This record gives sequence, C-alpha cells and structure tokens, in this order.
Amino acid sequence: MHFQLQISYQIKALLSGLLLVLSSATLWSAERTTEGLLALYDFTGTDGVTIQDRSGVDPALDLKIEDSKAVSRTRGVLKVHGETQIRSLKTATKILNAVRQSGEITVEAWIHPENITQSGPARILTISRNSSERNFTLGQDGNKLDARLRTTRTSKNGMPSTVSPKGSLQAQLMHVIYTRNRSGNAFIYINGKQAAKKTVAGKPSNWDGSLHLALTNETSRDRPWKGSYHLVALYGRALSGSEIQANFKAGADADSEELLARLRARKKASLFHQEIAPLLVKHCLECHDATTRKGKLDLSHKTNALAGGKEGRAIIPGKGSQSLLWQMVADNEMPEDRDPLSASEKASLKKWINDGAYWPVDFIDPLAYKPDANAGKIFIRRLTAPEYIETVRATLGVDLSAQAQELLPADLRADGFSNTAYNLGVDLKHVEAYARLAAIAVAKMNIREFAARFSSNRSLTQKPMRSHIEKLGKWILRGPLEDHEINAYRGISTAVAASGGNFDEAIGFIVEAMLQSPRFMYLVEGQNKTGTPVRINDYELASRISYIIWGAPPDRQLMQAADEHELGDPARTAAQVRRMLADPRARKRSERFAYEWLHLERLKHLTPDKKRFPGWNSQLADDMSAETIAFFRDITWQQKRPLADLLNAQFTYATQRLAEHYRFSADGGKPSGETVKTRPEKNGLTRYDLSAIPSRGGLLTHGSVLTIGGENASMVTRGLFILHDLLRGTIKDPPPGTDTTPMPSKPGQSQRTIAEMRINDKACGGCHTKFEPLAFGLERYDGLGTFRKHDRFENLLREDGELLLPGKVKPIPYKSSAELMDILAGNDRVAENITWKLTQFALGRPLAGPDVPILKKIHAQSLKNGGKYTDTMTAIVLSDLVRMSQPDKAASSRN
Amino acid sequence: MSHHKITRRSVLRGLGGITVGLPLLEEMTVTDVLGAAAKQPIPARAFNVFFGLGIPAPLQTEGFNGVLEPLKSLSEKLLIMRNVDQVRCDQSGINAHFDGASGAFTATAPDGSAKSGGASIDQLVRRAHYPNGLPKGLVPTLVAGTFFRRSRISRYIHSYNPDGTIAASMQEKPRDLFDRVFGTVNLTGNDKDEKRKRLKRSVLDAVVDQYQYYTGANSPLGTTSKSRLRDHLDRIRELEQRAFAKDHKLNQDSGIPPVPPKSLLKHEGKADPGGQGIDISLKELTSEWRLMAELYALAILTDRVRFGSLTFLAAGERIRLTGDYQYEGRKIFTFDDANQHNASGDKGCSHEWWHKFNEKKDNEALRAHAHMKMREVAYFLDALNDEGAIEGNGKTILENSLITISTESGDGRHNDVRRELSGVFHAISGAGGRFKTGEIMDVNAEGIDVYNTMLDAVGSKERLGPAKRDHRKIDNIRA
Repeated sequence: MHFQLQISYQIKALLSGLLLVLSSATLWSAERTTEGLLALYDFTGTDGVTIQDRSGVDPALDLKIEDSKAVSRTRGVLKVHGETQIRSLKTATKILNAVRQSGEITVEAWIHPENITQSGPARILTISRNSSERNFTLGQDGNKLDARLRTTRTSKNGMPSTVSPKGSLQAQLMHVIYTRNRSGNAFIYINGKQAAKKTVAGKPSNWDGSLHLALTNETSRDRPWKGSYHLVALYGRALSGSEIQANFKAGADADSEELLARLRARKKASLFHQEIAPLLVKHCLECHDATTRKGKLDLSHKTNALAGGKEGRAIIPGKGSQSLLWQMVADNEMPEDRDPLSASEKASLKKWINDGAYWPVDFIDPLAYKPDANAGKIFIRRLTAPEYIETVRATLGVDLSAQAQELLPADLRADGFSNTAYNLGVDLKHVEAYARLAAIAVAKMNIREFAARFSSNRSLTQKPMRSHIEKLGKWILRGPLEDHEINAYRGISTAVAASGGNFDEAIGFIVEAMLQSPRFMYLVEGQNKTGTPVRINDYELASRISYIIWGAPPDRQLMQAADEHELGDPARTAAQVRRMLADPRARKRSERFAYEWLHLERLKHLTPDKKRFPGWNSQLADDMSAETIAFFRDITWQQKRPLADLLNAQFTYATQRLAEHYRFSADGGKPSGETVKTRPEKNGLTRYDLSAIPSRGGLLTHGSVLTIGGENASMVTRGLFILHDLLRGTIKDPPPGTDTTPMPSKPGQSQRTIAEMRINDKACGGCHTKFEPLAFGLERYDGLGTFRKHDRFENLLREDGELLLPGKVKPIPYKSSAELMDILAGNDRVAENITWKLTQFALGRPLAGPDVPILKKIHAQSLKNGGKYTDTMTAIVLSDLVRMSQPDKAASSRN
Repeated sequence: MSHHKITRRSVLRGLGGITVGLPLLEEMTVTDVLGAAAKQPIPARAFNVFFGLGIPAPLQTEGFNGVLEPLKSLSEKLLIMRNVDQVRCDQSGINAHFDGASGAFTATAPDGSAKSGGASIDQLVRRAHYPNGLPKGLVPTLVAGTFFRRSRISRYIHSYNPDGTIAASMQEKPRDLFDRVFGTVNLTGNDKDEKRKRLKRSVLDAVVDQYQYYTGANSPLGTTSKSRLRDHLDRIRELEQRAFAKDHKLNQDSGIPPVPPKSLLKHEGKADPGGQGIDISLKELTSEWRLMAELYALAILTDRVRFGSLTFLAAGERIRLTGDYQYEGRKIFTFDDANQHNASGDKGCSHEWWHKFNEKKDNEALRAHAHMKMREVAYFLDALNDEGAIEGNGKTILENSLITISTESGDGRHNDVRRELSGVFHAISGAGGRFKTGEIMDVNAEGIDVYNTMLDAVGSKERLGPAKRDHRKIDNIRA
C-alpha cells in the first residue's frame, strides 16, 4: 500500500513537472499573492555577492554569498554547485516580528535540487544557530522535504518536523511551500498540491531574535545543499490552498518584473495616501481646491494639478527643484498666512515629486485625508450594550435585555456612531453592571445542560475539569484558551471544590468569571508590530465577521470554519457571509446601522414649540422613526434594491397619524400592499405608494430626517447634513463668533430669499454656496416635515435649486425636490458615501487616509454586484480592512 | 431643589461611624483628620473647572468691577490671566465653540467628536505624581457637571488621557456623583453566606488575573489597547474595594450627606432636544449646580478625589433661562432669553447673546449670564477655601491645589477669524505657592505655553502639544 502511494506520488510529481515545463513560460500572468509578503528573492542579479530582498518591505533583508566561486548566477537563477553559505546581512528581525505576531509562517521556494540523495536534512533555507537550535528550517532529506518549526510545543531543534512523502521531491524544477497557521495546522505543498499535513502545536513566541536567514547551508556550515534557486519568498502568514495554487501557476519566472512593479506601485501609493494627500489637504486645498482655485491652481484633481495654474506647472514629475509647488513650499512662501510645512513634510513632498509624483486617484477627497493624529492607533473595542446583550443570548441562551438596559450605562455617540471604539470606555458603573449581569445570567442558565454540551464528565478533578474549561472557554471567549487562562479558571473550580461545592456550582462561577473577561467584553486582537498590514488569525477574523454582520458572536459553523482555517480562503469566507446575511440577525444589525446613521435617537427628545406645533407629540416622533426603519428594511431586505435607492424610492410607510401629518390624503398618497404591523396594532404602519406625490419619496422627505433642521427648518443645518452625511463634503467653519442668528421670515421674505442673500454676500457666499442650495429642494417641508407651498407669511415656497458636488466646479440645476432626489440617488458619490458609512459602522472606528484605496475597492466591488446592502457588506468583510490588521502606530512609536 | 449645605465640618463630625461602603483611607479617619492633620503630607491635586461660552476679552479688562465681581473675595488666592491665546485649537470645519471647549485644559484641537488632541492638565499631573495609580479607595478621576448640549462629548468633559480619550465618564446628576464617590457595591445580594462571598471573591480574582495579563508585559495588545484595559482594571479594583472591604458600622448620624434627591432637571437625551434647547429657571439651574459643586467639593475634602474636572454647562449651551438674578442683595438682571431674543428653539437660547456681543453696546444679558456663572464658580471655590478646608500646612485646599478655571471662547467679536479663541479667560490657584496669586495679569501667551509652564512647576515632565515644539516658558506666572 505504502509502495503504491509512493509510485502514485512520483507519477503525480512527474505530471506536475511536465505541466510546469509547459506552464512556466506562459502562466506568469496568474497573480502571485503579495499579502503578508516579508522577503522576496528572485535572483535577478548576476554579479557580485549580494542577493537583494526585493519585497519592498522595509528593512530589506539582503543576503551575502560567502564564497562566490561555489555559485554561478544567471538572470533569475542562482546555482549552488559547491559548499558555501548565503546569509542575511542583518538578523531576520522583520520575519521574527511578523511570525511572532501572527503565529503563522509560509516559506516558498522554486528550486531545482542537484540530486535526490543529499540529506542532513540539507538546508534549503534556514533561520538557525547550528544543527540543533533553530527558529525554522526547510531542508531536503533525500527525496523528501523536511520542515522544522520551533514553537512553545516543539523542541529547540523544531522537532518533530513535518515531512513530505518519500519520492515527493525530484531533481527537477519544483515549487515547494511550507505553510503553518495559528491553529497549528502545518502543510507542505509541492507543485501546488498538498503533500503533507501535520499539527505543529504551540506558538512561535519563543523564537530567537538573534538569528539570521541563510540559504544552502546550516549556520554551522555542516548541512550543505546543492541545486538551483529560482525564487524564495517568506510570508508572515499562512497561505490558503487557492493562494498556493495561484503562486504555483504564476511560475518560477526569474524575471518577476510584474510582481515587483506591483510592489513598487504599492509602495508609491502608500506614500501618496499616507503622506502626500494628507499634506495637500492640510496645507494647500483650503485655497487650491476645485471650487476656490486660487491662482487658477486646483491641487485636488490629478489632471488639474499636473496641468498647473496661471503661474505655470506646479508639479513636474521627476523634477522637484523645477516644480513651482516645491519652490514655494521650500521657501515658506506657501501656504500663505499659515504655518509652513514641517521639515519631514517638505522632505516627503520633494521625494514624491522626484520619484515621479505618483498620483493614484483622480480626486483627493479632503475628508478621507483629514489630518488625524490618532490614525493608526488601535483601540480595543468594547462590545456595545446591544452587542453585549446579543452575545450573552447567543452564547448562553439567556436574555438579559431588560436587566442590561437597566444596569448598563448608555454608549455615547462619537463620530456619528455609538460603537466607535475609542469612546467605548468603562466607568465603575459598567464594571459593577457586568459583574451583576454575569451573576444574573448564570442564575438564569441551566448549568447542567450547558456544561453537557462540552463534556459529559462532571468531575471536579484536574484533568477533566481543565478539559471542560478549555472547551467551554473556547465557546464563550470566541477562541482557544491559553494555559494561563485555563489555570485562572481552574482556580475557581478548585476554590469551589475546597469549599465543598459541586460541579454545577464550579461551572456557574467559571462562566460568571468568563463573562467578565476582557476576551468576552472586548474584541481582543493581537497587536500588529510589523509596520505593515498582516492577516489576522482565524478566530479574530471570525469575531470581526460576526460582529460586523450580526452584532453577535460567531456561531458554531463560523467557529468551525475558523478551526479548519477556511477563513483564509476568500471563496469560503464569502460562502459564510452569504449564509450569515440570510440570518435575521443581519437584518436587525442593518436596522441598527440606519438608526445610528440617521441619528433617529434624536427623535425621542424633540420638543418643538407648542404654540407653533400644537399637534406634535412623542408618538409622532416614534412613527417617524418607525417609518424610516420600515422603509430601509423594505429597500434592503424585501426588495433587495441598491442602497442608493434609499434616496428616491417612491413608497414609504406611515401610521394613520403620520399620514395625516404628511397630508397624504390631500396629496394623493395611497396605501399600497399589505399593512406592516411593526408594533402594537394601533401603531401599525401602512405601506404607501408615492408615485402620485412627486414631492415625497426617499429618506430626505421623511420627517425623521427633515427634523434635523430644527423647528425653524434651517436651510443651513439641512444643507450641511446633505453635504456632510450624504456627499461627504467638507466646509470650513464660520468665522468664530459669527452672528449666526437667522433672519426670520416675514411677508415678502422667505427663508429661500434670506439664504440667497447669504449666498450673495461676499463674506458668506464662498461657503454657503456649497451647501445651502442643497436644501432648497426641501424648503416646502416645515421643521417637522409637513409639506406646504406657502409659509406662515404666505410667501410662496420654492423647490428648485442647484447642486454643487464636492470637488466639482459646475453645479447641477434641479427644478423640483423630486429631481433633487433623483440626482442624489444617481450620484456615485452618494452611493460611495453610504458604503463609507457602512464601513465605518462595521469597523467601529472613523475612517482615515490609509483606508481610502481599500474603500474604493469595496465600493467598486459592491457596485459590480448590484450595490445592495448584502453586496456592500460582503465586499466589506472580504476586504483588507477586515481581513488584515493594520500596523499599530502607537506601538511602533512607544514600544 | 433646596437642600442643606454640605460642609466638611459636618462630615468630620460624623466620620466616627461612617456608613459609606468605601473603605476609609488611614488619613481620613477622625483621629487623623482632626488630631494629626498637621502630620499628613499635602497630596498633589489638580482640577479643571469649566464654564460655558466664556467672557469676551473686552469685559475681562473691567476686572472685578464687571462680570468678574463674584471672584473678588477669592482674588488673593487666584491668578487671573488675560490674553491667553487658544487659536491653535481651531480646527477648520468644526464649530469654534467646540474647538475652544476641547482646547480648554488640553491646548489641542479636537480629534473626533469625542476625543481631544491630547491629555488635559489634571491627567498629566496625576501621571506625574501617581505613576502607579492612586492609593486604594480613591476615585482615580472624577468628572462631573451640569450640562445640556450633548452633541459632542468634549464640549462638556474636561479630563483627557494622553491618547485623547476621556479620562472618566461624566457624572451628570447629583445622585450619580454621590454614588460614584460614596456609593457601595453589593455583588453578593443579601447573601450572608461567607462561603458564597469567598467564591465571589475567587471569581473576581480570576477576572483580575485576566486583565493583569492583558495589561502586562506579555500582553499581545498594543499600547493604546493596554491603556484602555488598564482603566478597566482600575475600575475593577475599585469595585473590589467597595464590594469586599471590611464593613463599617451603619450610623444614621454620620456626617456624610444622605443620598441626594432625584434631580428634577432634564438630563441625557431629554436635555438636548435636537439641539433646540430647553426652558429652565435660574433657581432650577443654580440649585443643581450648587448641589453638584458641594458634592464635588466634599469628595475633595474627604480625600476621595484628587483629580478631575467640573463643568458648569458647556460649549454652545442651549438653555432658555428665566428668573430674577440677584447678587448680594441687588438685582442684576431678569433672565428671559426667549422673549428677549424674540425667538424660539435654539435661537431663543442664552448662547445667542454671545453671538450678538458688540463691544460698543451694553451687552446687558451677556454680562448677567457671565456674572452669574462667575458667582457659581466662586461658590465651588469657596467650598475649598473655608475653614473646614484648611490643611496641615495651615493653607486651604484651594491654595494647596492646582485648580484651573477656563472656558471656550475669548474675544467674541466677529470680524476676525482668529479672535474668538484669543483672550480666553483663565484663572488658576496657587498650587501650594508655585504660582503668583492676587493679580490680574496680561500674560500675552499661548495657552499651550501657559499650561506647560504650569505642568513644569508642579513637577510633570510630560508636556501638552507636539513633542517637537519649542516650548516657551511663561515665567511671570510663577511665584
């Protein structure tokens, strides 16, 4: 049997080799993955003793050939025919940091062994001190590959090793990969096929930081390997099977220019997004955006910026010293009347121009690049109160809604949402509430049934109790437990046993402690110290996905996917996302988003002047909130329409009370379809067809949104809402102390007339022209959303106006509010903004400049699939903003 | 809303049979306080006192003859600083009220709607003097105040961590403030079962163990996250202290005040109806302010609190005030904002007086509002300056502490973008003789330099603002 397997493997290897010969010249077009790449050697150099690390990941880990006579170099191939050593000039610190951080590693090589007899194992690649101390070694042992990884559970020598089957290695060009994930699953792939699998438990936290990376021999020079290297790559993460196949299909092409071009572009794009665009926003765009264009220079658009202004070309790519922009900045002539650029900003600007002024976007969105001193600081995110309630329910089957709402302090809204991580601090009241809620939850549980889900053993003794804690803890704390954690919880069971307590009591107290653990209360993720984005581990990813889609913890299927390392595979993750979006919790979560995005909580506290609005009551406010949520639900889940349709869909929901408030009967609004009972029957909502009411239709015509302008229906406030929250525009604040007391309407002077006076005023118009016309189309709605054609002074109200989109010079005219809604619904910036808002809510943090390229991709992907809620959520979850951990700048600067 | 004034003397009388759940610090026992107070070292303390809207710079020049009159009785113990410039806190696109409020005590522009650009003065003093945390039993930072406009958090919270996040949640009702400082925690219900108590303790030990791991040297978390969990751990320690400290005998005659009555004012969302403002009478407002001030002062007097901030309304405050305002027996003004503005909603609120400020006019309503706020600030400071506040060195807590009083706007005139954040009113106490007092000084300096000079004087090596900035010492404020 074993012999047959071996023959079979040799045949497969041979076929793979043939395929390889056929494919290597043609399949380079398949894209190699660059995510998590740490070091790359393509051996393109033909002279000298240095082999360059061409990954573009700083610091470069170049290698030095000890004896050049032992090798021969041709472009793309390094042939080792004698005994020598090739060793990194520096210690392999960047690899060490990344691997310690992620607990994962991938070593990839295109090699051609000289023979299938060398052994020792003969060192193909090693990070080791000598033949018995190592972090990692990939070696050849006859016709097998042998990989040794040091972890807290393996020996200093990385034993036991992971070994490929006999005959799996041939004396021909072969693609070999060793990859190991955080869960301890290690694989060897040969020519794209899995050749070996082994569990290598433990963590690489004990890696030796003083070791170098070496090829072709052990550091002690007693395990030489001979053969040719065509490519060597190291990653700080595990690669999925599909990624390994893609790398294999990409071939051993020695001239990896396409890959390197991608890496170079990535680096240049990073400079632009992280330094240049924020610098232009901070110092230049106040006077040189598309609207202001001082000196006829617009530095917000790529084409305009490169064309220059009336003084000539501001930016001459490759020629910093000849570029007017640089000259003015260097001499501190610009920015005018503002602080000059810092030395480091100047250096970045000059380098950018000299390197070709790489400008990867058409338009610099000021809001996306707003200077943010804390961008990159990673705040651990506490569960919000609704997430806590849902987590307890999903984990233990206990409903704590009533008690949690009574005991837990409210989460305060910051930057538009109440799940913003930096603002989710804790006070004594929180801690007290968590302790009391944990006890209440345990009291409400059926401990015996719950414990039996993990083990039938009810012993309080060491071994079974540890095992019970390990299994139960993995479920409650959303990932495997460390030894120190098991010990801490074991302490509780010991205390219970010592006091004569029983098994159920022990489990009850353990659960009570786990419910107060940081791993329960927070989304705990390891710090990224590497300076570049790295993939988060499977359990962290599972939690991110479930809290994004459900606001709840991973279920068993998602945990199982994490156990089996499926979430590294985008296709499998996408399947999970599809499954999860079909769950009712996804709907509930989406409604939470709408509630927070539009700040519907505000409606609960509206108290308009009773004299002016005698008919107002709090039930009407509830109806408005219910209208918007029902409308959102219909668009996103029932009709499954693109999110942009929220702006102009021709239907709504209203109670009879709200319909009267809206004067539907007078305007021709007709009930359509079924009545939706969202609350007690007396508050039942009826779906209304608005096709006969051109002035209604879309979120902006909902009372819930129109009340944003206050009882005076402020055009300034409404216009700013559209600018900020729909168009993602920015505007300077009014000069401090400006008398913003509005002029009241009077006979012959409507609010529109007054707004036009502001727009025509030299001091105010520059800014007001950017946002007040956005609200002109809403003038016919009073402060509480009632439609009328005349104000209380009998001034005729208008609904025409002009829409000036951020970054554009030419306004778009509209004749009616319906036309305004159609323009907004059809505008990609509005659609993109909804994507951005959803992404912010998903991530629980404000977005920043480095997120922009990924946000663009998310939006493009969502639109490609239809632009629906589910499309956007899928694109968000599959994006690098969710799958990757961003570098913790606070860590790199302080640790 | 009426109540009996809370004094330290009445507290000290009752301490023999303390009823509150907090374990007493050694120095707080009756014997220590009354008999051996002189032997006690004076603890480092720093508090930020914020009042809303500000005092236009031209009115500051009138000294104690104008709106600053209520501070006159404390003038020997305060240094009043004029011409303090907070322009660097201006952030384009953000309301200047908010910028100024965020800049008060931090000298940095806001960084998000609930985050400042950096630490506040009180927190850097805390870190300098208690790098390993405050003694057990103390509230690490007490943030309290009465306010109504809630849209952006740094409008009303004035204690910030170095990462710009709030240093503590706001206690916005008297009863919340009382509970935060003097409240008890009952984790075991009415259970008298000692065994159960021990097991509850064991649960808490395991919880503490987990937080210690995630805040310790082997934590996988980054600096910012660790700091967040460290705060959580501090709160657990407090909980532990309150839940498991040795019980004290209940004594109905204790000087600790009874739990304050439920607040009759609007709070939380109800206090901010869509930014449109609320109607409130002077009596309602000042009764609550005074109760908050007394409770906060009591927390200091009983050494429960050494750091934090107290807010009297906040940036862009939205109230429509009514009522007769009298000071020392004379009528100053009749507040009636909405009718006097002839407007409802937000435009009928008192903050519109600041928008209407005109140096050439009387600004009677604005003056009355500012005067009234100074009266209330003085009420709080008085509580730290009466005979019950005298410490071992013969000085009062007001004299021994660093108390910084400031606000959000300065000049108030409308014709210069940069003016509103210039000339922002500041006053400081002597901080144990480190700063000059008894003067009204034109410091003509940036707030950041004034604050950093203060930090230097009280022994903090950390500085506010950008690390690479060349800081200017404002030596003329130092004693």
